[in-house]
Amino acid sequence: MEQRTPTLRSVAWLWFGITIAVLVVGFRQAIFLVPAEATMGDVQRIFYYHLPHAVLGLIFPYVNLIASLAFLFWRRRDPLNALTADALAVAAAEVTVLYVGICLATGMLWGKPAWGIWWAWDARLTSELLLWLLYVSYLLLRRYSPTGQAGTLGAVLSVFAAIDVPIVYMSIQWWRTQHPAPVFGPNGGGVDPRFYPAILWNMAGWLMWGILIMLFRFALERRRQLAEQEAALHAIEASLEIPQ
Amino acid sequence: MTWHSFFDFSTMGHRHIVFVYAGVWIAQGAYLAWIAWNWAHIKGIRR
Repeated sequence: MEQRTPTLRSVAWLWFGITIAVLVVGFRQAIFLVPAEATMGDVQRIFYYHLPHAVLGLIFPYVNLIASLAFLFWRRRDPLNALTADALAVAAAEVTVLYVGICLATGMLWGKPAWGIWWAWDARLTSELLLWLLYVSYLLLRRYSPTGQAGTLGAVLSVFAAIDVPIVYMSIQWWRTQHPAPVFGPNGGGVDPRFYPAILWNMAGWLMWGILIMLFRFALERRRQLAEQEAALHAIEASLEIPQ
Repeated sequence: MTWHSFFDFSTMGHRHIVFVYAGVWIAQGAYLAWIAWNWAHIKGIRR
């Protein structure tokens, strides 16, 4: 453990540096290099930040779900492994709230100049808002539930919250309302190949960033758990030292 | 687009491009800073 920490720290700093470089390239591609879209003009460049957050906001909930299921499996069999799974679950939930929140905000900032409205209660927007609210409620439940119950209550909620993810994904195929039809996949409308560099660099950059912050948040939660255990141990030792 | 037209605030569309690109970096950076602050703070408690 003593030797592993400096190596992990070096890898983390290296990952951080590469991520920033990829994001800078992505920014340059999105703003300065790819041509403006024919119909919407420059405002379409919001897409290059909106899309990665929308896609990744549907992936991090599954990290939360898998970690929550692992927590429920281990909580009686192996409490130490369960604590590790719980730390990953809370990290993934926070990153989900961040990514889905940014997706909603950038979508509104794009919608106003493009559609003339900030918001429409269409299937995609409403299910996405519901996803954000579900993970906010997950974090609030963990924050305010009784000590010792936070992990279990949160894990059960996360199973229900994850059900919304495929609904968000399929919403623009099941219901044709305000949000544009899918551009990728078998039923997608397609994208001009000249836009690919901006899409791919930003997708890679925000994926690397998301992994970085999720693992850093996971490490922080593990550190907090270990600090709590250490404090509890000191309290027990101190109580045993009281002369009878 | 150039830096000059990127910071052209004359139309709503151009203003919103800047809000999105600056806002995303600020939100993501603030979350990273919050984690880093807590990381240092909890380390202090353990010592």
